[in-house]
Amino acid sequence: MAVDAEQILGEATVPSSPLVRPPRKRGAAVLSVFAENKLALAGLVIIVLVVLFCFLGPVFYSTNQVSSNLAISGLAPSASHPLGTDNVGYDELGRLMAGGQSSIEIGFAAAAIASVLGVLWGAVSGYFGGIVDTVMMRIVDAFLALPVLFVLLLMAAIVKVNAFNLTLVVALFSWLVPARLIRGETLSLRTREYIQAVRGMGGGAGRSIFLHVIPNAIGTIVVNITFQVADAILVLATLGYLGFGIPPPAANWGSMLSQGVTYLYSGYWWLIYPVGGLIILTVMAFNLVGDALRDAFDVRLQRR
Amino acid sequence: MRMSLARRAGALSLALASGVTLVGFGSGALAGTSAASTAKASSGSGTITFALPPTVTPDYIFPFMTAQYLTNVNLYQFQQIMYRPLYWFGQGNSPTFNATLSMANAPVFSNGGKTVTITMKNYKWADGKPVTARDVIFWMNIVKAEKSVYPLYVPGEYPDNIVKMAAPSPTKVVFTLDKAYSSTWFLYNELSQITPLPQQAWDKESATGAVGNYDESPAGAAAVYKFLAQQSATPATYATNPLWKVVDGPFELKSFQTTGYSVFVPNPKYSGPVKAKYSQLIEQPFTTDSAEFSSLRAGTLDYGYIPTQDTSQIPLLKSQGYTSSPWIGWSINYFPMNYNNPKVGPIFKQLYFRQSVQYMVDQPTDVKKALFGYGYPTYGPVPIEPKNSLSTAQEASNPYPFNPKKSASLLKSHGWNVKPGGTTTCAKAGTGASDCGAGITKGEALSFNLQYASGQTYITQEMQQLKSNLAQVGVQLNLTSAPFNTVIANAAPCKVGPSCTWQMENWGQGWSYGPDYYPTGESIFATGSGINEGSYSNTVNDANINATHTVSGTKVLDTYENYLASQLPDVWQPNPDFQVSEIRNTLKGVVQSPLLNFTPEYWTTSK
Repeated sequence: MAVDAEQILGEATVPSSPLVRPPRKRGAAVLSVFAENKLALAGLVIIVLVVLFCFLGPVFYSTNQVSSNLAISGLAPSASHPLGTDNVGYDELGRLMAGGQSSIEIGFAAAAIASVLGVLWGAVSGYFGGIVDTVMMRIVDAFLALPVLFVLLLMAAIVKVNAFNLTLVVALFSWLVPARLIRGETLSLRTREYIQAVRGMGGGAGRSIFLHVIPNAIGTIVVNITFQVADAILVLATLGYLGFGIPPPAANWGSMLSQGVTYLYSGYWWLIYPVGGLIILTVMAFNLVGDALRDAFDVRLQRR
Repeated sequence: MRMSLARRAGALSLALASGVTLVGFGSGALAGTSAASTAKASSGSGTITFALPPTVTPDYIFPFMTAQYLTNVNLYQFQQIMYRPLYWFGQGNSPTFNATLSMANAPVFSNGGKTVTITMKNYKWADGKPVTARDVIFWMNIVKAEKSVYPLYVPGEYPDNIVKMAAPSPTKVVFTLDKAYSSTWFLYNELSQITPLPQQAWDKESATGAVGNYDESPAGAAAVYKFLAQQSATPATYATNPLWKVVDGPFELKSFQTTGYSVFVPNPKYSGPVKAKYSQLIEQPFTTDSAEFSSLRAGTLDYGYIPTQDTSQIPLLKSQGYTSSPWIGWSINYFPMNYNNPKVGPIFKQLYFRQSVQYMVDQPTDVKKALFGYGYPTYGPVPIEPKNSLSTAQEASNPYPFNPKKSASLLKSHGWNVKPGGTTTCAKAGTGASDCGAGITKGEALSFNLQYASGQTYITQEMQQLKSNLAQVGVQLNLTSAPFNTVIANAAPCKVGPSCTWQMENWGQGWSYGPDYYPTGESIFATGSGINEGSYSNTVNDANINATHTVSGTKVLDTYENYLASQLPDVWQPNPDFQVSEIRNTLKGVVQSPLLNFTPEYWTTSK
């Protein structure tokens, strides 16, 4: 309904003229701008390839990632182990796939939780304003003031480290940024005519927030999710690197990199460069896509 | 003592300094004293920085330690620098009695071996007072009053076997024993535990109280112990508390951080044969072996170690002015299972189960791939390295070589439903020959918690491999890691009950024999001993151990070790070299005793 209202208002303000390009559908406009960004397309391709590598790869290249085999540890790349083996004998290529699965799964899950929480928090805070906004934003400020890595390490040390708990730990500190962003959006949106109209017709706060505010902030939300995924993967890698990743036999890229660095002086390059490259590539790809989405949702660019 | 240090050497000699051959080791190597005599004279200045093992930090200064503090670092690399034991062991690379560094002359046994007379040498405390027989009696009184918390206490043995003691003069101590013992065993394993304490400064019940003779009554001795233990429980005050300034060793503590970072300076009143000729000894703690190696590469350490996974870098360090020297300890390696855990203890008590687990420990592969060859297997209670004639042929071979089929077969034949990759459960509860065993219920699963020491890569590798190996027969290991000191503290003997919760603890380096230097095992395997972590109890083993204390010759030792090697009181695992030392070429006089005690007063630096 709100979108319709906005479209009506939009149509009313755009003069009908042969010199003015007729307005495109929003989705098509977004896609069009996105498609113009070659880096974004490259990022998207990388993400798809990484996801395929991690989730479909094991179908074509099956390895034992549950039982270690010290007898074949530290083998250099060869025909039987294209990326060699790690320090307990896991096939490194298979390990990259397994580690990628957990990194991506937890990254997406943490980003989803953080986004939902952040969007709701920011929307409620911005919509009601006043004392509610003050209290809710001070809570956000308080969390933002904490040294994130220190707290994450503390929590990872306290709770039993598994995929579920790790997701919650990462999400706990990831919702703050979307909360602030959405709050800012909401402060602007709540003054729009269609929100005023809903209020005037007796619509409640829930209706305004869920049916009008959040849908109209979808651009910001989507863009933020991509950055959240990238950040979550990076945080997971950091935690894993510092020894707080999911314990073996489960794999994660951060722990793999940390383990590889231990053997830096032994010349086990295959334990460092492939996993390091994958982390960089994946995080970069999500950031490229996020940047492009931000542009794509920018109305001014859509009207070029 | 948990953790150890030693040096790769040729054959060892285990002969008494008096020249009496104790056991059939090879000839001895460079003695500590001779090392010092050949050391280059120094200017009396300079700092030497020594790297502590990863995550192992000094955390107790009072020489009477409870089990949780009984580590090699606390004893050898911290306390004994300041408070020397009555008798010193280790001459160069030989684990033998060292008369030169001892604070008393060799004990004289009389009255058919039931009376021991000890004559003190002319040592002095830092406050100028002599180290006397009274200081020995002071230690004895505290041990007798607090034997329940004394970690090396074995019921019926030290200090119970000393039924009467006297100090007829300031330089003479006379012990009357309950029966005649092997003089070698009594010196190497009983008198070796004594550390004279400064009675004139420490015999008090509070910080503000006067010094007295409180230790002469059991209640007074307990109060003195309580006070000293309390003082020792606050590491932040180690360098400032006046108590700890009264030392008789070659160094005193100048500063101490709770991280374990310690700075020692020479004790000007030290009255031993050699005084330190440099200004400071720093002990540097590390949280991981990689961090230590980074410091070594940066050249900030004079005496460090190279992690086994980085030994390919030895030539690089050589080019930076370091000499590599593996340090092999007089030690065995194992990790305990808690027989008194109310939940899983009944399973651990089954010999077939322990055998089944031992069959899944692939020690040769662990040594080759995790230790990069810098270690050797443990197959029984007597070290097989350094080469010696105390370990039997049976122990040198592997009674339980890696064999998943035999492991599974043992479980199946005792009523377990083996599920490779899953969880094996008890199908036939009962006490018959083909049943799971007493206290094990039908459906009970073979799933255990194992905590191991963090910071050292090889332990993680071995534990991950053991987990995978045991999974092949459906035994689930739930691995967690914690700092060494935490693991040691958790692995305390406990009585059956709800608070006796630990199941398996692995601090990674088992036991290095000291101050029970003769490897008769009473400290760690006898029923009720203070550091028998898992509370292993076996009457045949107890009898075998007791026989080694009174009967001369190695035959009784052979009987003891062959029996215990097959009984598997703990899980035997590969024994790493204490460390692969990297010693700066400008540091001279270093002798790496297999007993892990060290004598930094002999070191010199021309840096």
